[in-house]
Amino acid sequence: MSAGYIDEMHEAFHSDLVYRSEDIPLECSPKPRDMEHTLHGVMKLNGLVIRSLEEIAGRGANAVTYRAGKKFGHEVAKYFQKREDVEGALHELSDLLRGQYSFEVWKPEDKETFIIEENGETFIYLVFHDCIVRQTLRRNGLDQGGPLCQTLFGYVVGAIEEITGRKAKLEIVHTGPNACLKKLVLK
Amino acid sequence: MEIHVDKDACVGCGLCVKDCPMHVYELQDNVSVAVRPNNCMGCLSCHEICPAQALEHRGIYAARRHYIDIKVCEMLRKVV
Repeated sequence: MSAGYIDEMHEAFHSDLVYRSEDIPLECSPKPRDMEHTLHGVMKLNGLVIRSLEEIAGRGANAVTYRAGKKFGHEVAKYFQKREDVEGALHELSDLLRGQYSFEVWKPEDKETFIIEENGETFIYLVFHDCIVRQTLRRNGLDQGGPLCQTLFGYVVGAIEEITGRKAKLEIVHTGPNACLKKLVLK
Repeated sequence: MEIHVDKDACVGCGLCVKDCPMHVYELQDNVSVAVRPNNCMGCLSCHEICPAQALEHRGIYAARRHYIDIKVCEMLRKVV
């Protein structure tokens, strides 16, 4: 390794910036645009982990990731206000997921309310629009609805259970490139 | 939500009819017709599946896309 190269390397990590211990950073550094490569790196890494987990654990991978997501959902939502109404809980959840996922409650035109009762079960349709899981899967050429989706499922279920104190279940109805339809079954 | 099917382009394969979980499309005279556009939740899997690229949605929320490789975009920008 030449001395010139080492100097160049040191130069790249040297600045005249004065940083005091009481300085609080007021914005992200570097700017989000400069983080695009990092984001893609993280997405690739996530995709590789999920692909390998699926190869080794098979269908058991879904249970592992669901459990991980659910635990995380419970952990995060325990600091949120407890609510008995599902609409309020979904509002809390929407705040919780902001920036990573966005969703809306949805109903087919022949239904009058968002809370649907059919075949002895009560459920709400949720349409997930922005979703970092979908982006990661498509970035890596992986199928939607697999183990990585299960982390989000677990996360939503864990958070809803924590906020409402009721048992819940999430099912995939349909996946698409722009949005996914999910069914939140309330017990 | 407004869905437009290009009747000249549609090959009547019925893939959109089979794929849509909300039964938005129906085949009429071998052409796909959006009979329940208000049932569309904008997943756009019909766009992905249509071999003739005959579909157009208006008034849709386009989800954020982070999955397009930056290097591929840079190369495409040079070509296009």
